[in-house]
Parts: sequence; structure tokens; C-alpha cells
Amino acid sequence: MRASHVLVALLVAGSLAFAAIGVVINDTFYLRLATEALIFAGLALSVDILLGYTGLLSLGQALFFGLGAYLSASVLMIVPSFWTAIGVTAAASGLAGLVGGFIVQRVRGVYFALITFGMAQVAAKVVYNTRALGASDGLIGVPVININLGIASLSSASPAGFFLFVLALIVVFYAFSAYVLDTPFGRLLIALRANEQRIRFLGYRTSSARLAAYVIAAMIAALSGALYPMLRGFVSPELLFFSTSGNAVITVVTGGAGTLVGALYGSLLLTVLKSVVGSYTEHHLIVIGLLFMGAVVFLPKGLMSIVRPAIERVLARRQKA
Amino acid sequence: MTTPILEIRGLTVSFGGLRAVDDVSFEVARNRITTVIGPNGAGKSTLFNLISGALQPRNGKVLIEGVDYTGQPPYRMQAAGLARSFQITNLFFDLPVSENLRLAAQVLEPLWMAWRPIRASRAALARVDELLDRFGLADKAQYPAGSLSHGEQRRLEVAVAVACKPKILLLDEPTQGMSHGDSQQTATLIKSLATDVTVVLIEHDIGLVMSLSDHVIVMHQGQKLAEGLPADVRSNPAVQAAYFGHA
Repeated sequence: MRASHVLVALLVAGSLAFAAIGVVINDTFYLRLATEALIFAGLALSVDILLGYTGLLSLGQALFFGLGAYLSASVLMIVPSFWTAIGVTAAASGLAGLVGGFIVQRVRGVYFALITFGMAQVAAKVVYNTRALGASDGLIGVPVININLGIASLSSASPAGFFLFVLALIVVFYAFSAYVLDTPFGRLLIALRANEQRIRFLGYRTSSARLAAYVIAAMIAALSGALYPMLRGFVSPELLFFSTSGNAVITVVTGGAGTLVGALYGSLLLTVLKSVVGSYTEHHLIVIGLLFMGAVVFLPKGLMSIVRPAIERVLARRQKA
Repeated sequence: MTTPILEIRGLTVSFGGLRAVDDVSFEVARNRITTVIGPNGAGKSTLFNLISGALQPRNGKVLIEGVDYTGQPPYRMQAAGLARSFQITNLFFDLPVSENLRLAAQVLEPLWMAWRPIRASRAALARVDELLDRFGLADKAQYPAGSLSHGEQRRLEVAVAVACKPKILLLDEPTQGMSHGDSQQTATLIKSLATDVTVVLIEHDIGLVMSLSDHVIVMHQGQKLAEGLPADVRSNPAVQAAYFGHA
């Protein structure tokens, strides 16, 4: 876990430098792209809590990401307040996570993947066909908001400012997840993946633990999604599609499942690849597909399996010295 | 007369046409060692599965201190003070020995401790250290459970079961596959446990059964064939016929 913290600190340092350069050269495009990468990193983080720790493959995490995005967009179009949008999203996604969790916690393995996939598809179709939610166009015209931070306020239209704000939130999500996963509750999730049958005889109600993990993941996905309309000014049904859920899983596996920090780096890598390769060819998905296959075959623990051991060695040497 | 700590009444379950456990009744005395013996396929492990909530009985009752716990899920049985070990070693093989024990001991802590850092769970961690010492696993604490020898894994299996300080401990063949020396050591350990825990044991080693048990229950083809003091059971002709074939 400590090596992961170091990697997050490096990420923050790099992001600060990136933001500073962005301000100096007056860039908007790359800062906004990086902000989007961080928002999708939040989604990937929620997938990693389920996949990397609890051993549950969700193919429908876009359900909660999209829920957060649509809720936030709808709230902002009525009341342009960041904290109202976030509060509504947190409450609604917690509730949705509970309801969804009651349904999915009855099954495991491939059935879990199929049910999460199915629920997200149903939600996507409903949104796609509901005129009040903009149907296939999505919701357009989400106003620029001023985020009241008590001592200062920040405009969602400021590329560097909003980038750093999203960075701070994602770091908070990471820190929260890292803390929770190292408590007895988090260790229980890991043990559930290892040997669920024995856990039942140790006096734990396994369904409650799994439900709690599902709700936490749902809320992190939704809160990340809530940031999307603030960045882009619109939401579209694609946010709920399988491509969104699938990308998050690819992000986690490429970055390193069960590391948390892998989800953050994975998201940055995938976004860069999509944008750089995408500017040369329309077939950038082939590159991402090959990368995913390469990661599965050669790096079962993802990119972090190369980076993290090196940092652990440095940390160990420091401790000795 | 005081209520027995564990009472089984007419417990029955069938798989297909086979009555794996057929109308079995007995009582277990507090802080004694009761051993269930019988040939392979007699229904001993199935009986344990019924008592511990792994299987639902078709008929009959499981009473803990007079309260009906029939068919309750395993976590409720644990809360009622009943813990068990398994015949086939059932551990968290990738996790360290100490973490195996900590998971089992965590139920000694109040529920809200689950959301605080591990080091705050002092009672659970103290229990882990105590068990590591008592079961001779202290020098293996940080090794994954899967890296232990068979005998050590069997000992850890019992330690994990006893970690939650149960009132009733069901041990399914704790010495299974152990060398003679290891078996003796485990027997001593079980005997020392029985000062504050009621132990129900499945065991094949007749020598061990005779030296360890306060009370013996013999099962044969799903039914209870006999019960009594170890010496009485041993000299029972019906038991001898079932167990050793025709003399």
C-alpha cells in the first residue's frame, strides 16, 4: 500500500507541473483532456474496488457513472450549485447502489458480470428513449458553475483550476478507498475472494459485506460521473453504454487490478493513447485492444507489477539506511 | 436437571434416496469432549454440516442451551457460540497465518471496529498472538497459510475455529493425515481446550478416541448405533460388528 501512496504522490506532482505548463502556454485542450482522464480514473477506481479486491467483475459500472452524470447535469440546469449536485448524486447513488446491490449480491462470477451488464443496458436504453432526458442527444447546455470552496471560489470553465480541483477529488476517492480496504472490513472483502465458504463459518454475513462494497463502488462511480457535465457542459447516453463500462475494466486490468493506483495511471495512459493514436488513425481501438491483450498475457498484475516492486525496493532500502 | 449445551433431536436429511443422517438424537455435556465415530460414509460429516448450518435438515432440531437454532445460517450459529473446523483443510491459503487467525478473531470486536484501522482491534490482535503461541505457529505468523506443512495447516484449521472463543467447538477429523507424533500433540491441545469449551469431535484413530473422549457416539449408515463411555462403546457387540466387520 505504501508504494501505491508514493505513486499517487508522483502523479500529483506530475499533474501540478502539467497544470503549471498548461497555464504558461495558455492551453485548454490538453488540460481538459487530462481532466476527463481523471474523471474516468474515478470510474476505474470503483471497478478496481469490485474486481481487484472483492473479486467481482462488473461489466455495468457505467450505470452509476451515467446516473451521476445525468443527475448532476439535471440539478445544475435547475440550481447551478456544485454542492447541491454532489449531495443529490451521493444520496441517490447510495440508494441506487443498495437496490442494485440487493439484486446482484445473490450471484457470483459470470452471472454477476451478466447481471451488472444487463442492468446497465436497460438503464441506457431507458435514457436513450426518454425525451425528458434528451433521448439520443443527451442533455445539452449545462451552465458553467462557480464552485464555492469557502475561502475562494473556482469556475468550472477554468481549465487549470478545474483540473486541479478534479485531481484533488480523485485523490480523496483514492485515499478513502485505500483506507477502507485496509480496515477489517476491507480485509474481509479480500478474504471473501479467497475463500467465501469459510468466511460464512467465521460469523460473517457475507451478503452484507459484499453489498457494502457494491454501494461504495457505486457512489465513487456516480460522484466521478457527476463531474463530467461540469467539464463538458453536456451529457450523452454513451456515458451509460457498455463501451464506458468496458473501458473502465480495460483501464483497471492494464493499470493493475487490486492496486487502486493502477486505475489512475491506467486511465491516463488510455486517454493519452486514444488521443495520440486517434489523431493518426480511426482504428485506435485496435491499439487499445492489443494493449489489453498484452497486459492480460504478459502482465497479469498490469503496469503496476513493473513499477511498484521497484518503488518497494527503494522504500525498503530507505528503511534500512 | 440443567439443559445440555447442545441437544440434537431426531435430525434427518436425505440426498436423493439415501438417508445420510437418519433420526439421530443425542445430548452434549458442557465442557466435555464428545466424539462421533463410525466407518466411512456413516454420516458423521453430514451430521456436522447439519449442526453448523451448512445444510438444512429435513426433520429434527438443533438446540443450543435449549434455544432452537435448527436450519439457521452459519453466521447465526457462530453468534450462538458454535464454531467448527473442516475435514478438508479450509483456510485462506494466500493470506498470512496471522491474518487467517485475525479474520476469525475479529468477531470478538464490536462491529464498528470493522471501519477503523486494523491496529485498533486490540482484542482481536491479542487473541491472534495468544493462539500463535498456543498452537506453536508463532515463527510462521507472516508466512502464507498455503506454505505450511500439512500438520501445521491442520493445527491452524483448529486454531481458526477456536479463535472466536466459541462455547461449542465442532472439530471434523482434526488429526486427519497427521503423523503419530503430530496426532498426539494435537490430542493434548484439544484436551487443554476442553477446559472452557465444549468439544464435539469426529475422529478415526481409535486409540486417540479412547484416551481423549468423555463420551462416544457411534454412527453407522446414517443412524446412531450406540453411545456411552468409551470403554462401554468399545465392548458393545453391535459396534464391533459394524466397525470391525464380523469378529
